[in-house]
Amino acid sequence: MSNTPALEVENLTKKIKRKLIIKGVSFTLYPGEVFGFLGPNGAGKTTTIRMIVGLISPTSGTIKIGGKNVRTEFTEAMRHLGCIVENPELYPYLTGWENLEHFAKMDPSIPKDRLDEVVTQVGLQNRIHDRVSTYSLGMRQRLGIAQALLGKPKVLILDEPTNGLDPAGIREMREFIRTLAREENLSVLVSSHLLSEIQLMCDRVAIISKGAVIRTDSVENLLAEQERVIWKAEPLSLAKEILEKETEVQEGLDQTLITLYDEPQLPIWNEKLVTAGVKVKEMRTQLPSLEDLFLEVTGGESID
Amino acid sequence: MINLVRNEMLKLLRKKRLYVIILIIAFLVPLFTYAQFKEIQEQREKMGNQDWRTVLQQEITDTQNRLSSSRIQDEWRKYLKIRLSQQQYYLENDIDPRAPGAPTFMRIFVENSIDLLLPLLVMVIVADLVSSEASGGTIKLLLTRPVKRWRILLSKYIAMLMSVSFIVLSVAVLSYVISGLVFGYGGWNMPLLTGFAVSGDELLTDRVHIVPQWQYILMEFGLVWYVSVIVGTLTFMLSVLLRSTAAVMGIMLASLIAGAILVNMVSSWESAKYFFMVNLNLTNYVSGMATPIEGMSLGFSMAVLAVWGLAGFIIAFVTFSKRDIY
Amino acid sequence: MKKYTLTIVSAVSIAATLLWLFGLGWTLQDQFTANEKFQKQKEKTESATSKKEDGNLTIFALGDSLTRGTGDADGKGYVGYLSERLKKKSEQDITLFNTAIKGETSRGLLKQLRQSEIQRQVKQADVIMMTIGGNDLFQQGKVLESLDKNAINGKKQIYLRNIKNIYKQLRELNQDAVIYHVGLYNPFSNLQDAKTTSSIVRDWNFQTAETAAQFNNIVYVPTFDLFQLQVENYLYSDQFHLNTEGYKLIAERVASLVHFEQEEKNDE
Ligand SMILES: Nc1ncnc2c1ncn2[C@@H]1O[C@H](COP(=O)(O)OP(=O)(O)OP(=O)(O)O)[C@@H](O)[C@H]1O
Ligand SMILES: [Mg+2]
Repeated sequence: MSNTPALEVENLTKKIKRKLIIKGVSFTLYPGEVFGFLGPNGAGKTTTIRMIVGLISPTSGTIKIGGKNVRTEFTEAMRHLGCIVENPELYPYLTGWENLEHFAKMDPSIPKDRLDEVVTQVGLQNRIHDRVSTYSLGMRQRLGIAQALLGKPKVLILDEPTNGLDPAGIREMREFIRTLAREENLSVLVSSHLLSEIQLMCDRVAIISKGAVIRTDSVENLLAEQERVIWKAEPLSLAKEILEKETEVQEGLDQTLITLYDEPQLPIWNEKLVTAGVKVKEMRTQLPSLEDLFLEVTGGESID
Repeated sequence: MINLVRNEMLKLLRKKRLYVIILIIAFLVPLFTYAQFKEIQEQREKMGNQDWRTVLQQEITDTQNRLSSSRIQDEWRKYLKIRLSQQQYYLENDIDPRAPGAPTFMRIFVENSIDLLLPLLVMVIVADLVSSEASGGTIKLLLTRPVKRWRILLSKYIAMLMSVSFIVLSVAVLSYVISGLVFGYGGWNMPLLTGFAVSGDELLTDRVHIVPQWQYILMEFGLVWYVSVIVGTLTFMLSVLLRSTAAVMGIMLASLIAGAILVNMVSSWESAKYFFMVNLNLTNYVSGMATPIEGMSLGFSMAVLAVWGLAGFIIAFVTFSKRDIY
Repeated sequence: MKKYTLTIVSAVSIAATLLWLFGLGWTLQDQFTANEKFQKQKEKTESATSKKEDGNLTIFALGDSLTRGTGDADGKGYVGYLSERLKKKSEQDITLFNTAIKGETSRGLLKQLRQSEIQRQVKQADVIMMTIGGNDLFQQGKVLESLDKNAINGKKQIYLRNIKNIYKQLRELNQDAVIYHVGLYNPFSNLQDAKTTSSIVRDWNFQTAETAAQFNNIVYVPTFDLFQLQVENYLYSDQFHLNTEGYKLIAERVASLVHFEQEEKNDE
């Protein structure tokens, strides 16, 4: 996991109409790793991704894919890259197969049987010869991934890949991405504005806000700091008294108490409550909302 | 590169635009054939079973009569004078410029469609060649391949050239085949005059010579193709610059129609001759018609068109390879 | 099948591109290089068309606006009314060639007669009608600018020389057809100076008739007397050309002069 980086982004900035939209973003992806790119709407995720895939040119900074600079060695860099930027927009008047053929033809290094491989991989065998205009959103998303995988890339970039998918679809997508990273040693960059999604899929996360990365860390670390436990107990005042001796306690809505998530301590706290005669009705962990997380990492700055 | 061009041709075909164009032509040609047929019939009725020479002589007399009227405009007078000497030339050399037949129809059809109809057809195909990729979002997938941007655009440009050739060929074949049903398929070897040059209001005939109709037609189609390629290139440039196909079509349509109007008005506005759209009527130089503005010639018009085309080509390629794609 | 369409269309397009490029190249070569000299096709195909058609009267009209019919509401002019009358009278089909040009002078007419097609038509004619001289004498419908004797005399001399040549040309081209030269009237006979203008026109007519008399079968048809009185009733609004009534009068007079039986005898 820590050999040569698959994608290196260094000090990337972008100015559009004199306005600095991306303010020095840096991060690195290693092979086999799923990297989350987390930020609220308008944070600059898509803009950064567009620069990585060469659609827009950065104002300053360097991007290297598989060691190749996107600006100076465009074709070599692109050979290692597969991507979907925003929605997977394919040619609606062509069939799925024709779409794949179209993109495969653009890279002579792609062998012919690769098409069958990717189609099976994304599970589109049944509908691949239908026109894309008849596809559902989920099918388009799969076809989008299929075209991204055509060139056996080292880096896969997916901008909000679960956008518009139903829960089953989201789960499937998640597992698919994990499998790819595990079995093909692919590095995947996934952007999202949903922490829950990122949490289940990614190894590491960069949190981006207003065009700057404010924190990069592994998911466990981030969550460990921020996860909370919600208690429902009777009588509430007694419970609060007991818990306050152990840790910080806040009062939540609906007669609840909120404490930090501290895995080894939890059973002990619980035991203490029970022995004191408090009825613990419910005890659950809760992910902080993205907003909470932001408040936490930025120290009170709001999203916009 | 061949693969890229093949891709573009595939998309063009699947969008069914080429079929639409062929349908339009296949619909228009019978229309014009009928009109032409009616005209010939009416002429025959009016003139009885007269010799074409008599008819042509009558036309010459009519032209002379119109010329002698003091109320006609100077440009019109100039035009009539040129027409007159040309008609007299045909008569003296015993050449019937209007002998019916499919090749003659082809020639007349192409001479009349060079400045508006064909550019419009070309525009329909070319307008969305690039802009549809931008508005459909597919450009993002297209440009994240290991292929340089200019190569992608070049493949599109080549596909544009090929479809222009295809359209011109469709016009040729359809007009020949359909009109031949009415006029017959002969007449390829009919001699025609070309090489007229206009200087002031004089028709210079020192370079006039006879070519067989088939060569004349081939030459005119070459010019039509040239004009279509230039119009195609300019549309192509707009298609690169604008995301909206409708805007591309709107601008092209406006300038083409403006050209058609300007040609009739600009004789006193001399610098208007540098607009591409008043220079589209290249076949007029071959058949020896009056020029809309003094000082225009085949060489001049072709050069103006070439400059516009080249500028469009350069602008298209520079912006496309540099531009940020949002 | 779909695969083939693409291949076929592409192949055809490429072939078409080459063809059009060739056409364009040829155009450039043809239009910009002068080495290919024009050889005139001097050989004429005159065979069938220059013979007279039997049982059909061919009228050939030439000259100026009067023959053209300027001022006539129907645009027929005296030639039109004349041929209508003759058609009724003779029960023959009449072919009419009218090559008259508004504003034509004797000089212009002489030039026109050099055109091969005009010559061909003259050869075919059974009857030739003409008016000429009005534009030599009156400049574009204006009253004689100056009544200067010398100036008018000069014009007249030129005119007479031309008209003689015209007659000669016509006679050379066609020995048989009777030529009716319709004479001048004085459109200004109701104005002041009528005396002077009338005498000028009379003299002009007289000299022309004298010239005509030198040739065979040229009839100089006077019209002066027709419009001597009440010319205003017969003038078009430009006060120079005739109106429908005026043209009908001329047609009537000429019609009375044309005899077919004789014509046909001449032909046989
Ligand atoms: N072409 C442009 N011109 C001006 N501003 C732009 C342009 N493109 C993006 N921006 C601005 O840059 C910022 C970042 O946009 P971006 O699309 O990268 O956000 P995002 O993180 O992808 O948001 P979302 O979650 O909504 O997709 C936004 O504030 C947007 O208004
Ligand atoms: Mg986005």
